[in-house]
Amino acid sequence: MPRCPGNNTLIPLLRKLSESLGEQQAKNELRWLIEHTRKEIGDGINIQQHMTAQSTEHKGARLWREQAARLPDEIERDSERLSSVQHAWLRQAISDRTERHKPLQYIIGEQQFGKTNIIVRPPVLIPRWETEEWVLRLAELINSHTDNVRDTQQGLRAPRPLNILEACTGSGCVALGLGCELADNSAQILGVDISDDALQLAMDNLVYNQMLLSNHVHFRKVDLQQPVHTLPAQLRAGDGEPGGWDMIVSNPPYVTPSEYRDLDADVREWEDIRALVPLPPGTTDPRNVPSEDLDPSGMSFVVQLAKLAKELGLASKDRDEDASLRLDSLPRLVVEIGSAEQAQAACQAMHDHGLNSTEVWKDMAGTDRVVLGYFKQ
Amino acid sequence: MSVTRVTATRTLCNIRRPLLACALRSYVSASRGKASQHMPPGSELAGKSNLTPRIHERLQHLRTRYADLNARMSGDVSDLGREELAKVSKDFSDTGQIVIPYNRLLELYGELTELQQMIDESKDQSLRTLALEERQVALEDVAATERQIINGLLPKDQAESGGAILEIRAGTGGDEASLFSGELLRMYERHSQLRGWKFNTISSLEEGDRVKEATIEVSGRGVFGALMFESGVHRVQRVPATETQGRIHTSTVTVAVLPQATDVHIEVRESDLRIDVFRASGKGGQHVNTTDSAVRITHLPTGLAVENQQERSQLRNKEKAMQILRARLYDMERQKLDKERRDSRNRLIGTGDRSEKCRTYNFAQSRVTDHRINLSLYDLEGIMSGVSLQHIIDRLRIQHDLDELADMS
Repeated sequence: MPRCPGNNTLIPLLRKLSESLGEQQAKNELRWLIEHTRKEIGDGINIQQHMTAQSTEHKGARLWREQAARLPDEIERDSERLSSVQHAWLRQAISDRTERHKPLQYIIGEQQFGKTNIIVRPPVLIPRWETEEWVLRLAELINSHTDNVRDTQQGLRAPRPLNILEACTGSGCVALGLGCELADNSAQILGVDISDDALQLAMDNLVYNQMLLSNHVHFRKVDLQQPVHTLPAQLRAGDGEPGGWDMIVSNPPYVTPSEYRDLDADVREWEDIRALVPLPPGTTDPRNVPSEDLDPSGMSFVVQLAKLAKELGLASKDRDEDASLRLDSLPRLVVEIGSAEQAQAACQAMHDHGLNSTEVWKDMAGTDRVVLGYFKQ
Repeated sequence: MSVTRVTATRTLCNIRRPLLACALRSYVSASRGKASQHMPPGSELAGKSNLTPRIHERLQHLRTRYADLNARMSGDVSDLGREELAKVSKDFSDTGQIVIPYNRLLELYGELTELQQMIDESKDQSLRTLALEERQVALEDVAATERQIINGLLPKDQAESGGAILEIRAGTGGDEASLFSGELLRMYERHSQLRGWKFNTISSLEEGDRVKEATIEVSGRGVFGALMFESGVHRVQRVPATETQGRIHTSTVTVAVLPQATDVHIEVRESDLRIDVFRASGKGGQHVNTTDSAVRITHLPTGLAVENQQERSQLRNKEKAMQILRARLYDMERQKLDKERRDSRNRLIGTGDRSEKCRTYNFAQSRVTDHRINLSLYDLEGIMSGVSLQHIIDRLRIQHDLDELADMS
């Protein structure tokens, strides 16, 4: 295996990474990058075989027999041995990470979300752990509801699947996460987004995770900021299914314009502004919106979703012809937000649009993270 | 009594004979002297046995009980309630686990008596040879059957059939200790591979070959039962790779094996936990794209804290930290119980005490000594490769079972 001895040690890379991330985090990221390199970056020889051969001939036993003392960095080089191709990839990755502030997830190209593996690529928003957390919790809530409904309906016909609309789907992680966590055929999920990049990625992720899905998931390009009567007929009728939409879930843009200016470079310079900051309807050039046109609260998309929920009939009882589904114990609108003030504003917007009961969930870090709006009879 | 046991064990270690038979026979020879009215006829022909008169007495009692239960079950059961019926039939099958092999043992004793008679009285040489051969087979059967009975008599520990969490920590000896803990880690990894267990690193603090500490989840059937005796201080004696003057150093590594707690074993209340996500002071969500995935869980009533940042995902880290926390809590409970039991008995092998010196690896002599059973094997390489570790584990298991049995009689 070709190797360039002087150039193959990891210490300078770790040092470089430590300067921008701090030592502990640099160690973690380097470890993940090396794991990724070993798994994904080939160099013509069978890396896997090489690794097993090394581990079975007890490296330690070899060490004590060679009585001559070895320098610590020699040992380090030996155990962390990478091919020159792998090492070159690693050097590139670390320079992207430190000099260009490229997010680690974009470098590795994949991010776990629940059971799914989501492909990530710029500029589509990288799934956040906070989103993953509430999506799993929501899935649990829906599943226990489905169990209840199925229990009380023993012998009767199976209840129809829930129709779930996911707005601002981005990489598709929320739709796919639900699609694979929810009980078999208990839901069908449509994810929509305005961005072509996002839609393409969501489609790729659908294919990539197809084997894991237990529910039907599909994606469509739709601009939800246009007036409801101009939305595609299929969308207005609730995905062509009887019963219309049962639930809207979303991680809409909620960063305020002033917060946006202070975001870390790895977010601001890499991720699509349309996924972060709510822009006025019909914006064609997202980077050049006059600041007076921007909504200072960051809430305009959330409000738009509350309005949409009302207009699509989620906040009224007359459309709920299938009482056996007992939809009033399920949230009709679930929206991620960024702070306690936004949570309050979202609750207000939901009440204003007929969702007469609301609930706020905190994330693991204790921040208000998601608002759920119910329609109770 | 305990003195006898220790001597018996010493003899056991020095002779090379089939493991099981050897261990079982050399054990408790003192009891044979007082073999009295409770010993079934023919048992004296079976060589040394672990079944003391008191155990035989107990087995006879179980036999009567089994017959009673059998009569009960085959008679009219309509007067029994559903619950009572379930209890009786469970009792019946549990007792059967012991009594059926015991009946077989009594048969074997009968056969032995006949064979002995044949050997003593027969004038036909070929017939005698045949009888001697048959006796050998019967004796092996006796040993295996005794083992079955002992297994049935011993209390069942549910945790033994499940997985385990293995924690390895370098002790005194600096770099050399962490080098050796890396080697122990590979020994267990290799051993797990050989036995078809899943070996999954949860967290580790390592630099190259040096492992300061590591937490590993080993899953599979009977993992804890096999690895539970590995808990303790492992000592290494050798000339370290880093030593230039050829001096022998002694370093230590601490190993702790915790039973994998499933939800059935231990309940942790959500309200007793404090969960810290690192650098959580910011806004989170869309505002930051953090890769700092460290999660710390603190169990408030006990003050136990578990931190994990192995994976890129916070949620996965939280799950694993939770798993380790459960195992630690479960282990605390078990250690308490174990200590109570050990305080009242004189036992050779504890599974609780982590400060106990349990094994020495001497590289110069290529020797591994397990101090608890005084076993020395001159097969260091084989043991470090995970293959011959099995021998040590088997011996420890037998000694452990004998201790338990001695507690009962």
